Amino acid sequence: MIDVSTRPPAPRHHPQEEWLLGHAAGRLASVPALAVATHLNFCAQCRETVRLGETIGGILLAEIPGEGVPADALRHVLARLDLPVMPEPAFHLQRELAPGIPYPSALLGLARSHWRWLAPGIRRLRLTVQGAAAGERAYIMRVGPGKRLPEHGHGGWEATCVLAGHFIDGSAVYRAGDLLEVAPSTVHEPISGADDECICLIVSGGDIRPTGLIARLLQPLMGV
Amino acid sequence: MADPPRSGFRDDTAALLLAISGDRDRTAFAALFATFAPRLKAWLRRGGCTAEQAEDLVQETMLAVWRKAGTFDPNRATAATWLFAIARNQRIDAMRRAKIPAPDGDDPSAAPAEPVAPDQAFEMSDRESRVRAALRALPAEQADVIRLSFFEDRPHAEIERSLGIPLGTVKSRLRLAMTRLRACLGAGPDGELS
Repeated sequence: MIDVSTRPPAPRHHPQEEWLLGHAAGRLASVPALAVATHLNFCAQCRETVRLGETIGGILLAEIPGEGVPADALRHVLARLDLPVMPEPAFHLQRELAPGIPYPSALLGLARSHWRWLAPGIRRLRLTVQGAAAGERAYIMRVGPGKRLPEHGHGGWEATCVLAGHFIDGSAVYRAGDLLEVAPSTVHEPISGADDECICLIVSGGDIRPTGLIARLLQPLMGV
Repeated sequence: MADPPRSGFRDDTAALLLAISGDRDRTAFAALFATFAPRLKAWLRRGGCTAEQAEDLVQETMLAVWRKAGTFDPNRATAATWLFAIARNQRIDAMRRAKIPAPDGDDPSAAPAEPVAPDQAFEMSDRESRVRAALRALPAEQADVIRLSFFEDRPHAEIERSLGIPLGTVKSRLRLAMTRLRACLGAGPDGELS
């Protein structure tokens, strides 16, 4: 877990507000959601926004006119209260991201591949995100000082959340917790900072709608 | 929220949750069910579920309330906020089972384990009251987009079509609404904390 007693500077690059609200409402697609959740590990300001969203949700939920539920619904639930519960799977203790760099809690419990070397000073592992659609990817990448971050273009959308170190993109500096969203048509040249390795979460998906939000469900929610 | 609201949760919803968690009180659970289940169903339906899907999810959510009542801490959140988060998380789980993309993890706020001061229950309740008052004070056009976009998950384009407003209006009205709501909590327009 992040050690809050040695709090680093607050992030300056945040997810768009629609994503924070979508996250609070539980309607963010898996790949933006992972990037947002990771950013939230670092950003008190955005955690407040999510909390505000949850507060609004609670108020509106308390005020919405109800719809009738079947007469025996309560009885069915009461009958299930005593049924044994499947124990939650225990997370394996995660190694550190890198020596001295703790694992952000948003990434705990995600299945991960081994590190693969892509190029001198550049390696990455792939995360398995439950519920991800075809074409969606999530990686943790470690980039040596002064090296260019590789592109992941499937021609699609991509977001990067810095976990440690920093990178420079044009004139902007992205540090731990900062989130950069890259539209498909953008050309960019992110370079890892000169003094230290840069570790990033990189998520991508060709089909992400511009809003990142899931389309209102047209197909059955369960029993697909 | 121009109209006065129907009666919301009973004022003692927090007490019901504490009775459920502390005493495993089934009468309290039944009372909570009576108030909460119909509203939960309405929210799920507005979000796109069929009646049957919604009823199934209501069952799963009420079970989750029973099992997780021990995590309700009035120093961290009001009962209404806690219930919304439980409902939201159950919907996420259902979407994940259906292999529709959904955020991973139980806690979308993904906060590090920060200690919470005790005796914050009044502050939590006061905070909620201020947000509620601010919601009611919003101009109708801003309140509408909060309800339609945030609470009912309608895409911006659909809202713009049905309200007959220009493209991009929803985004800007949401921004204005959130700025006002944050102001009532004493934060800056982007949520900068003082």
